[in-house]
Amino acid sequence: MKLSLRTRSALNGYMFILPWLVGFSVFVARPFLHSIRLAFSSVDMIAGFKLNPVGWANFREAFFVDERFVPILVQVIQRNLVDVPIILTFALFTAFLVNQKIRGRVFFRAVFFLPVVIASGLVVERLFQQNVGSIEAVVGLNIPTLVYMYLPARFADIVVDVLTRLTLILWRSGIQILLFIAGLQGISPTLYEASRIDGATDWEIFWKITLPMLSPIIVVNTIYTIVDGFTDIFNPMVNFIREVAFSGSFRLGYAAALGWIYFILIFLLIGLVFISSKRWVFYGGSREG
Amino acid sequence: MAAARVNEQVQLNQPGLVAAEAVTSRKPVVLIWARRFQRWFFLALVYLLLIDIAFAFLLPVIYMASTSLMTVQDFLDPGVYWIPRQVYWDNIVLAFQSMNYLVGLKNSATIVFFGTLGQIISCSLAGYGFARYRFPGRDFLFMMVLFTFIVPPQTIIVPLFILYRELGWIDTFLPFTVPAFLSHGLRGSLLVLIFRQFFMRQPYELEEAAYIDGCSPWRTYAQIMLPLARPALLVVFLFSLVWHWNDYYEPTMYLMKPQNFTVPLRLRILQQGLQEITGGQAGELFNEPLMMAACFLVVLPPLILYLMTQRFFVESIERTGLVD
Repeated sequence: MKLSLRTRSALNGYMFILPWLVGFSVFVARPFLHSIRLAFSSVDMIAGFKLNPVGWANFREAFFVDERFVPILVQVIQRNLVDVPIILTFALFTAFLVNQKIRGRVFFRAVFFLPVVIASGLVVERLFQQNVGSIEAVVGLNIPTLVYMYLPARFADIVVDVLTRLTLILWRSGIQILLFIAGLQGISPTLYEASRIDGATDWEIFWKITLPMLSPIIVVNTIYTIVDGFTDIFNPMVNFIREVAFSGSFRLGYAAALGWIYFILIFLLIGLVFISSKRWVFYGGSREG
Repeated sequence: MAAARVNEQVQLNQPGLVAAEAVTSRKPVVLIWARRFQRWFFLALVYLLLIDIAFAFLLPVIYMASTSLMTVQDFLDPGVYWIPRQVYWDNIVLAFQSMNYLVGLKNSATIVFFGTLGQIISCSLAGYGFARYRFPGRDFLFMMVLFTFIVPPQTIIVPLFILYRELGWIDTFLPFTVPAFLSHGLRGSLLVLIFRQFFMRQPYELEEAAYIDGCSPWRTYAQIMLPLARPALLVVFLFSLVWHWNDYYEPTMYLMKPQNFTVPLRLRILQQGLQEITGGQAGELFNEPLMMAACFLVVLPPLILYLMTQRFFVESIERTGLVD
């Protein structure tokens, strides 16, 4: 059989991605569509997973009947809104420090990446039950009491929540630090030289050269941090959905509905990051899509 | 002070010139010292901050290591801080036995070995296909790779559970290994992405030369491109290995019987195992040193691996072009 070069090349392309394609259909696409159907049904475990359509009942229950779901949802959103900027700022700052010409760079880099290697969910859970990750453990001061003294209660709650999870939040920034370091090293020194010759100060160089050049990585890191934060072991939603689905009542349909609400939330958040990124991301000259 | 004034003057007089060079001819010594001092001050600050941050990072690890070597008395004694009175190795031994570590290690090793191998093979294939071939629907399918990355496991966990149950895969290692060989499993889409980014940066010349010499696409991939991709392979290997080892969410879903538990899952049955070993003698009071010893055993294998490879690891992540 004679095929044109183009067709042959396309066929080869399909061959290379074939395992992925099979995996995608079986382990992502099908379950994804299945979970839509589940979300609108109640599942009868005894009759071999028979689905009884119930319309929007699962979703109505989530928002109007279940008194645990909405507070958890609010908490998850709130924590992520606070954590993501902290992680990103911290990672950028640390990457900056490590990227200086200093002795022991290798050591510091290794330390900051260590949590990625050893942070097995269950170990982290045990460790932080003992409060070793809180700010008191790190600086030896009882800061939360001070916070409550000087800040309005609603605000103080958030601050204290962050402080008690401090190391935990920092532990989630290993990959981001690494990506930022790589990004910093990828910025051409000629840009810095040119701006110095034009009399730019360090401060101006940071805002006008470094940050715009890093902006694509900031997007990647933001998305990574959001996804990571939403599947974290300390994320109460993760445990809540598991509990609904698998302990005691086995309410699979309801769990699927919760999973879907959760997905839409993440999707919206990332969509927001993506759309807004068109306005503030700088892609250098010869980049091709 | 003097240096600053001179500096100002020069900048006023000769805008556009590098200040330092012009100044050295006038007040060299003062300026050099001012510069040096500035540099020292800056370095001191950088070190201070880095050491501080490193301390905050390491604190839980230090806590884990030191507590695991304490006796319960030492742990409860407020006078003992960080350094135990005597080094007490029995915790480690007891944790090793209570967790039934060797069985766990066998289970974990199986999952890690096949999961990692599968992801390396299938994800590099997919990454290469997406990077080098044009075919109808490629961009859409690549969007689907990104889409897979953002779908939280919680959304599809219920249908997957039902699927695995129908297939009879519950309490086997197949839910971890089969998806891995099909570029999925733990963050498979991220690994596909790493390979794609890497292959996109390679020049075309080698492949073209291979085709002209009559090399098939498969052979080109296996004998030319894959050996070139060593940095990406290393990163994916280590990521995949560490993630498979540390995974807890899926194993808690699909593994029910304790004899199938991976090493991290065994933290959950530590207390029970302790009762069995000591014949119900121990474990009335929660034994934190023992728990920390168990945690230490869980992180030990990836820790050793990391200590041996960290140099390549961190550097090749920077070089894979993941960031581009």
